[in-house]
Amino acid sequence: MKRPELISRILIITGILLAVGAPLFLWARTPLIHARMAEDGGWNPDVIQAETGKPLHLKLTSDDVVHGFAVGQMDMQSVDILPGKVTEITLTFDKPGIYTFFCTRWCGLNHWRMRGTIEVTGGSDIITAGGSSEPASVPLYVSLDLDIDAPHDSPVIPNEKPSAMNGQLLGANLPIDQSLDYYLSHSPYQVFTDLSDTSLTESQKWDAVAYLWQSNTTPESLANGKELYAQNCAACHGENGAGDGVFADDLAEAGEASMQTMEGATDMVMQTPVDFTDPSRILGASPALLQGKILRGGMGTGMPMWGVIFTEEQIWDLIAYIYSFQFEYQK
Amino acid sequence: MKEILLPNMNRIELTRIPFIKNTLKSRYPQLAVFIVMLVGYIFAILAGLIGTPVGSHNFSIVFVWIAWWAILILVAVPFFGRGWCAVCPIPLPGEWLQRGAILAPPDKRPKWLNLRVPKMFRNIWMQNISFLLLALFSSALLTTPNITGIVLAAMLFVAIGLSAIFERRAFCRYLCPVGGFIGLYSQTAPIELRIKDKQVCVKCVGKPCYNGSDAGYGCPWDVFPGGMTKNTYCGLCMECIRTCPHDNIAVNLRPFSADLAKPTARLDEAFKAFIMFGAAMIYAGVLLGPWGTLKDAAYNVGTGAWFMYAVIFLAIIFIVLPGLFTLGIMTTKGRQSLKQRFMSLSTALIPLGLMFWVAFSLSFVLTNASYILAALSDPLALGWNLFGTANAAWQPMLTTILAPAQTLALVVGLVWSARTAQKVNEAGTSTIPVIVYCFVATSIMLWLLL
Amino acid sequence: MRLHFSLLLLVMAGLVVAFAPLPVPAVAPQERTFEVDARQYAYSPSELKVNAGDTVTIKLVSTDVVHGLYVDGYDISVEADPGQSARLTFVADKPGSFRFRCNVTCGAMHPFMIGKITVGTNDWLYRSIGLASLAVIGFFPLSSFLNQSKKKDERNIAS
Repeated sequence: MKRPELISRILIITGILLAVGAPLFLWARTPLIHARMAEDGGWNPDVIQAETGKPLHLKLTSDDVVHGFAVGQMDMQSVDILPGKVTEITLTFDKPGIYTFFCTRWCGLNHWRMRGTIEVTGGSDIITAGGSSEPASVPLYVSLDLDIDAPHDSPVIPNEKPSAMNGQLLGANLPIDQSLDYYLSHSPYQVFTDLSDTSLTESQKWDAVAYLWQSNTTPESLANGKELYAQNCAACHGENGAGDGVFADDLAEAGEASMQTMEGATDMVMQTPVDFTDPSRILGASPALLQGKILRGGMGTGMPMWGVIFTEEQIWDLIAYIYSFQFEYQK
Repeated sequence: MKEILLPNMNRIELTRIPFIKNTLKSRYPQLAVFIVMLVGYIFAILAGLIGTPVGSHNFSIVFVWIAWWAILILVAVPFFGRGWCAVCPIPLPGEWLQRGAILAPPDKRPKWLNLRVPKMFRNIWMQNISFLLLALFSSALLTTPNITGIVLAAMLFVAIGLSAIFERRAFCRYLCPVGGFIGLYSQTAPIELRIKDKQVCVKCVGKPCYNGSDAGYGCPWDVFPGGMTKNTYCGLCMECIRTCPHDNIAVNLRPFSADLAKPTARLDEAFKAFIMFGAAMIYAGVLLGPWGTLKDAAYNVGTGAWFMYAVIFLAIIFIVLPGLFTLGIMTTKGRQSLKQRFMSLSTALIPLGLMFWVAFSLSFVLTNASYILAALSDPLALGWNLFGTANAAWQPMLTTILAPAQTLALVVGLVWSARTAQKVNEAGTSTIPVIVYCFVATSIMLWLLL
Repeated sequence: MRLHFSLLLLVMAGLVVAFAPLPVPAVAPQERTFEVDARQYAYSPSELKVNAGDTVTIKLVSTDVVHGLYVDGYDISVEADPGQSARLTFVADKPGSFRFRCNVTCGAMHPFMIGKITVGTNDWLYRSIGLASLAVIGFFPLSSFLNQSKKKDERNIAS
């Protein structure tokens, strides 16, 4: 074989091998965490191992649409994961446990199913469920023994939106228990009935209830709740709380479809997202009850389980905001 | 007739320039380009298969459907005709297999089956079909890296396979979905490869340009240069320049669309013109239009809506457009049969069709060109930033001149087609129906694009 | 000479069709609000019409994943998550027809997620069709002239 022929053959073979080998080699060396819509597989991998005290470097990419990444109950800024781009993040865990990471940007009806876990070992090597917090204290709805699936509609509703400002004007000497426990464990309707011995008119009683609710929250809390609501709840419950979010129809449809496959379960009715502007629904619910619903989720209704995502404080902020659909608060 | 009488009228022979001649005659510059192209091609396959599934950030999608497509339709085809075929790496591995060598003179005995392509396939119907197959899946193909990777790989392997069964570049000549329309539109290009003196060819013994010699291989495109009057099937591989013992091959600069003075005389080529003409209009409507239902139908391959889309697509191309055209030319009487007039007058759709593609591609390419920068810096989407442009934001380019440029392209195409209609009208009848047909199509295209 | 003259005439006519200012119907500017739903891969409504000078507000409601809306020619954009609709307000001071498209990658067909906003009338379309008509009308006399001169050339060459 002549020299030029040999050289060209070598060049071509080398070129082909390089064009195949180099990308494969580099690709195999760079493990990425892929984010996909839940119906296409969600996170891959969805279980990540880490050790306490050791920084965990993650490279995240999206294979379809905009997603986000955050770890539940952790004080961190969520990061966006953009399609075809790589987002790098470094996390350090102080305590062992099983942490939940989740998608923070709505990516379809099943967005909330996009979750994974980080198993953090080290230190005492004891893995406890429920994240980084201390062995989880029993939630209020459990200790109060509330049945959070029982109907809780308020039989009486105000004629107009109760005003906290008017309630404040009624004076502080109303016979209302000012303790936090009382507020947390009573629905607005229950407080309303507790005021039945007073000489107040019906609308004054509701105003007093509104004032009690306002005095158990802060503007910061409400603002924080509002933000959490917009990011996590509004897609189903509606931007104005009316249960008419962009996924409400899809949820109803998905529910009907799944009903057909669930033989014999005729008594279980698929729910559409709750309308927070509906007084009988919300005025009949105590903060503890709402906390239970948010913590546990809707068990098949499409309402996610938020217990592993939100901190307790975030849930109370959210609850305070949900009540603001019913009450006129001081601006 | 005058073209043959005066073959060099209006021509500038580029191969008179020693640098050009030597560059074309030597195998090494071409080989170097081939190797680079092959490496890029294989890399594009790999990027399609292992890179990000996000089309607009995947190297293979961005480089094939934005960068390569822009160069092909806006520069290579209009100005260099089959210039792309001259550097396309797809035939390289197959020819190596077929010839048993990259550079060495060919063996006297064929290495593989070396069959002649059966007569029924020696036309461009297979290319029409392969193009339409890709066209029907184009919304998925254009946006899904995996599919693009698989199609690129399939073209390479089919080309290798056909090289082992048939003689010469059977894939390029008879099957390549891209080669079909490049050939059609290469007739408009101001570049041609032609013989200098017919008498030299007549007297030439052995016809090494077609049969090969120690200096090079017989025409890979199965074309005898001595009889060539159109660019359509000449792949500009330059093999005949190397083999011609009489230095009788020239590469000429010539007026645009010189080949179109000779009307199309084959039904497969006539339909190719309609396929390309119709596909450009359908794409402009489906991909660039504001109608979501159409996009859904085109993208969701396999669904009922997609079958409807496919049926309508094919009906427009094979029934509506040729049907209206036929009705139009039936209004005039001519010496020739209707079929002959259909074929020869379809030549008039070639320049306008090319300009449809230019106008459509301008919009698509200028809008999405900024993806090239990002894909260049991070070709495998692994978070690299090779040239500092990985985070270049998507930004449409030259939006203010887009609409005027599209109008210009279409109006030029319309006049060019009208002129072509007159030139190919051998029957001497009125060309008004053809020109009206072109005008209506241009107006529809303007409405779709603007 | 006659060829040059008619060519000049044609070019002049073309320039008039392309650039002559048209009387703009005086319509008092309005405030207009559109609620545009975005899904993979379409807007609804996908065609908007406003008058030149109107103050246009587009409320973008994403109904599946994060989408954006970028208006060609105006070079402005807005991005909306499902549940967090966003507003884009601008004064439609450039007449013509413009495409608006998704500028947040939203899946395979994202580059083709397109709608159209027409400000006033789509003059350029009518001007373009006018130019095409003019080209065809001017083509016949010019081409017959060209054919004649070509025949003359051929006769000259033949002789």
